[in-house]
Amino acid sequence: MIFKLEDVTVYFPYDNIYPEQYSYMLELKRALDAKGHCLLEMPTGTGKTIALLSLITSYALSKPENPIKFIYCTRTVHEMEKTLAELKLLHDYQTRQLGPAAKILAIGLSSRKNLCVNSRVLAAENRDSVDAACRKRIASWVRALAAENPNVETCEFFENYEKAASAAVLPPGVYTLQDLRAFGKQKGWCPYFLARHMIQFANVVVYSYQYLLDPKVAGIISKEMQKESVVVFDEAHNIDNVCIEALSVNVRRQTLEGATRNLNRMNQEIERFKATDAGRLRAEYNRLVEGLALRGNLPITDAWLSNPALPDDILKEAVPGNIRRAEHFLHVLRRLVQYLRGRLETENVEKENPVNFVASINAHAGIDQKALRFCYDRLHSLMLTLEITDTDEFLHIQTICDFATLLATYTRGFSIIIEPFDERMPHIPDPVLQLSCHDASLAIKPVFDRFQSVVITSGTLTPIDLYPRLLNFHPVVSRSFKMSLTRDCICPMVLTRGSDQLPVSTKFDMRSDPGVARNYGKLLVEMVSIVPDGIVCFFVSYSYMDEIIATWNDSGILKEIMQHKLVFIETQDVAETTLALDNYRTACDCGRGAVFFSVARGKVAEGIDFDGHYGRLVIMFGVPFQYTLSKILLARLEYLRDQFQIKEGDFLTFDALRQAAQCVGRVIRSKADYGMMIFADKRYSRHDKRSKLPGWILSHLRDAHLNLSTDMALHIAREFLRKMAQPYDKTGGGSRKTLLSQEDLEKMTNDGSINNMLY
Amino acid sequence: MSSLQVTKRTKYKTSVKDPGSPGALRMNEQKLLFVPDNRNSGTKVVVEFKSIQGHKYTKEGSNKPPLINLSNVQGGSYIFEFDSYADLHVCRDFVSKVLEKSRETSGTASEKAAVTLADEQLSTAEMQLRIKLLQEDSELQKLHQQFVGGNILTEAEFWATRKLLDTDSCRKSKQRVGFKSVMISDIRPLTDGQTNKVTFSLTPEIILQIFAEKPAVHQAYLNFVPKKMTEMEFWTKYCRAEYLNHTKNVHAVAAEAAEDEELAVFLKEDDILAREVRKKIRRVDPTLDMEADEGDDYTHLPDHGILRDGSKELNKSQNEFYRRTLLQDLNRHAAIVLEGRTVDVEREDNTNAVAEALAHSKQGMEEADGNENKNRADRISRVTPIEDLQPADSLPLAPLSIKDAREYFDSQQVNALKTSRDASARMESRSCNTQEAYASMRNAISEIKENGLSDPIVSSDVAIKVFNGLTQNISSIKYHLGKNPRESVLDRLPNTTREKLLFHWTTIQELLRHFWSSYPITTPYIFTKVTRLKDAMSNIYPQLEELKESLQSDLRHQVSLLVRPMQQALDAAIQHHDVDMQKRSVKSGEKPNGYT
Repeated sequence: MIFKLEDVTVYFPYDNIYPEQYSYMLELKRALDAKGHCLLEMPTGTGKTIALLSLITSYALSKPENPIKFIYCTRTVHEMEKTLAELKLLHDYQTRQLGPAAKILAIGLSSRKNLCVNSRVLAAENRDSVDAACRKRIASWVRALAAENPNVETCEFFENYEKAASAAVLPPGVYTLQDLRAFGKQKGWCPYFLARHMIQFANVVVYSYQYLLDPKVAGIISKEMQKESVVVFDEAHNIDNVCIEALSVNVRRQTLEGATRNLNRMNQEIERFKATDAGRLRAEYNRLVEGLALRGNLPITDAWLSNPALPDDILKEAVPGNIRRAEHFLHVLRRLVQYLRGRLETENVEKENPVNFVASINAHAGIDQKALRFCYDRLHSLMLTLEITDTDEFLHIQTICDFATLLATYTRGFSIIIEPFDERMPHIPDPVLQLSCHDASLAIKPVFDRFQSVVITSGTLTPIDLYPRLLNFHPVVSRSFKMSLTRDCICPMVLTRGSDQLPVSTKFDMRSDPGVARNYGKLLVEMVSIVPDGIVCFFVSYSYMDEIIATWNDSGILKEIMQHKLVFIETQDVAETTLALDNYRTACDCGRGAVFFSVARGKVAEGIDFDGHYGRLVIMFGVPFQYTLSKILLARLEYLRDQFQIKEGDFLTFDALRQAAQCVGRVIRSKADYGMMIFADKRYSRHDKRSKLPGWILSHLRDAHLNLSTDMALHIAREFLRKMAQPYDKTGGGSRKTLLSQEDLEKMTNDGSINNMLY
Repeated sequence: MSSLQVTKRTKYKTSVKDPGSPGALRMNEQKLLFVPDNRNSGTKVVVEFKSIQGHKYTKEGSNKPPLINLSNVQGGSYIFEFDSYADLHVCRDFVSKVLEKSRETSGTASEKAAVTLADEQLSTAEMQLRIKLLQEDSELQKLHQQFVGGNILTEAEFWATRKLLDTDSCRKSKQRVGFKSVMISDIRPLTDGQTNKVTFSLTPEIILQIFAEKPAVHQAYLNFVPKKMTEMEFWTKYCRAEYLNHTKNVHAVAAEAAEDEELAVFLKEDDILAREVRKKIRRVDPTLDMEADEGDDYTHLPDHGILRDGSKELNKSQNEFYRRTLLQDLNRHAAIVLEGRTVDVEREDNTNAVAEALAHSKQGMEEADGNENKNRADRISRVTPIEDLQPADSLPLAPLSIKDAREYFDSQQVNALKTSRDASARMESRSCNTQEAYASMRNAISEIKENGLSDPIVSSDVAIKVFNGLTQNISSIKYHLGKNPRESVLDRLPNTTREKLLFHWTTIQELLRHFWSSYPITTPYIFTKVTRLKDAMSNIYPQLEELKESLQSDLRHQVSLLVRPMQQALDAAIQHHDVDMQKRSVKSGEKPNGYT
């Protein structure tokens, strides 16, 4: 349908539209007009993504004089694929309606591992070795060597791409990663570098968060995005965690050992160069004397991961004299490693702030702050000089340099925590030195500063006033939308008691109670026998899931479950989990039905949809609190309290409940879909916990469903499923429409009643 | 040969002193059948000659009654008393001849007999089922009596078309059953509580699942058994490994594995599985592919990101190598169940065969999807469009509204009649030869030339007449029905007539079914069957006529309307038969009746 939204003509690929989609677009448009940031919470299952995509593309189409670029960030690659698939649908519609004028270029960008088409490079096992294998073939010095010596292996795809030079462009269209690979293969061009090149010209770029948020990656990928861009962070409820993770580094024993090996190897290389090509080292020295030099004019092929510190904080000065010479720099690094090794040998937990730590490095190892700060750049330069291509082998020393650079750059918002062992396994010594960032606003600040509009949106942003504080920005629009439902297609329940009427909970003191495990098991056994197709269960952690499944297996509960449905489980091995998910879908499709056991905060909970028959019921076993004794968490809570006056308890509850809401929200895709949500823990019945759930869940949570036992839940589930199986009027009927056709929309715009419809 | 049959009146006695029950003894080459006159008191005897070992008889002239004693294999005997010695002699000769013959052929033909008997001689279960069906369905019973009793169809023929009624045989049919959802490969040790011994029990079904779920065990079996160890040893070792796994003592497992390399095979991670996983992951829907995600995540470079904030999980101990978790097993099991069964266990009762068959089927599968695997370009993303935003994709359909179903079906019947009449008319025109047709067409053309086309092709009088005839037919039915919608034509008939009519209808249907299913005639057996059927069918005509005549004139019309389709169907069948016979006689030339 095509309709006017104030001065913008919106092309929407469906025949009908939900009223909340309309209001969502309206708010978004106002934010774009104001060239400001916005924060929008809209329930899952209301077509958020398509509303967003169609508004922003239509907005760009209606203002051809100053074209805006659209940067869409997803958390995961599979969400990226999903978004691009939706964009494809939209683009098809827009070109059908508008002809070639609507043609845009939209591409997804990912790592070499996901885009490479060179089978020899792909044979490498993991991402880092793929990167290294690629660099081995395309680094500028390798290619220079290959020009003389035909036996040196290069990558034919990259060579072809280089040969085509400016002719190597992508014709307009929407390209998923798969399309990029297919295009690259067909043309013989390297899809990775083609995509890297094309993002400068693309109208829409879809990639993952870290390409903007993590300075290591953003520094090489997203440097040249123009200011007139609209940046969208979709599913952004965890964005604060992404931000602090991007700036955190750990040092462990293995890291130090690896770093020492790396240093030895570099030492050998330096000796070799001294003997054969001393001029090269001298040239590097001279370059460093002149200034930082090597940034900017580096060939695209040689760029490695960028500086871990944020671009604004990187010193634009010359490298200090004491680390300009390669040997000297190696000595500095050796001393640093030695010092860190000493610090790791502690028996108690130590917590320090960066300033003190830098001072003590200076006192004990004789390395000053400025030298530390330049560690990363100096290392990068040295590795280029030494022509090291197997970067995957040098990750350890890079970690050390990242650590040093971050440590010396930031004085606030960070802390250093040294733990001799994991709290949960005190008998296994595993010392770790953690530089952890507490301030989420640090990493995202450059994004807010650089781009004219940043949109943060998700199904779960409750409480919506917390995010601007955590991320330290001022949204021009901050709205939370309710969901207008045609019928009660979601059925949240709080289960507090098991079939024996005893309370159930994953609270610390009840967790190991066999009665709770049995009650949880019985609940699932009953549910698998009445709920059709797919059921998803979320546990609070892997270890709890492991434990409870073992208990169920021993007591025969698992067997009972398997009599009704197949069982699939998320494990820590992503490949296995991916296959399990694929099989789960097959099992739901073929009618056998299945249960998927997953973990809150896990990879599945983050981005896999269980819409339609893939999820008719979600059970959240317990409240997914973080492990509250964790030193890092405590440090972060302290920081939040001091800086933002956020109470520890509030933050923990907020965090647990947003995870729970995220888990259960995966079942609804549209208003025609339906699903039940069971919160199985007595703590959910308390008002202070429950009220942190997003409004669209709370509004369907009836008082009668707040304190259920297994048998009552079973009865409600039966009734609900029976009700949902009946035919219904999709438009909602009555005075309050939940589905608008073009006609409705026009009529309402004309008589002004559209404003009453807004949510 | 089959004409060799003897029927005599006898008395059947269980012993010599028994007064015996009178009845008829019928003997043919295969069996003897005694049917007592009084069906309630006497016992029916059916004996295969195969099971008869010898026979004794009383000599003529002695003052004993004419008896014949047939002894069977089990040592029992059947005694028959005949009315006269003449009868006894006929039977005696027949029996001795048959016995001699069967003894000769028994050696060679026993296998063949077993095959042919399979459909002739019924298992008791089958017999019971048939009896049950007959009891439950009186109509079927009637038909059975009429056809099988009337020798029009044999018992086997009658039941052959009713295989579907026999639900048991459906169940028995070789449909492959998938794996059970329940994990049976997770064998549990049983302890007797007194000694330290534990027992595992394995069945071929379990073994198949173990092989399917754990390719390494399968591979090991193919490698080790029987060259390196016996089957028993192999499974003992396997069970030991399972037992170790159950103890969850990682260190004990590692220690045992280090000592015994064969045992280690069962305890280690499964390489074959790992390879399969890598292959399969390329075919996964990209919107699910979390591995791609890991490949894109530079924030979590080793030692980057937050390690111990409590939301991350701890790494398990270093003996990861020997830890096969329950979770992995569960996933693997479910995947195998979904793949479905490729090997039939019931057929393969020995483990070796199971292992081999599984290896074969796997090879086949690998070859089949070898091409698929090469290219991950084939993967397609699944996007569900938001269904309720789209227009309803159903085609415009007018809802069916039938106020009275009878009206529809009755008028349909009239339609059918009309078309069949039209068809017969067409048949006539076809039967006139081309010259006549040509002539009539010329006439018609010249007529048109003379008179012009002013006249309609069909004169209006005729048209109206036909029209009225047809509409009257419909309207008359409608008129009658109008009074009471429930009442159909049949309801207006007297009860007996109605039943007769319905019975004829089912009879004709049964006959026609058998008739048409016997074409094309390929064996003399079918030929005789068709002849029998044809005779039976031609017998129905007079019965139908009789039925019609027995009615009053006002009903007769209705009944004849109902009877007509029956007659037409029969006509068609008989016509087909005659044509076929003609063809045959032409083909076989000199032998007009002797179709062999």
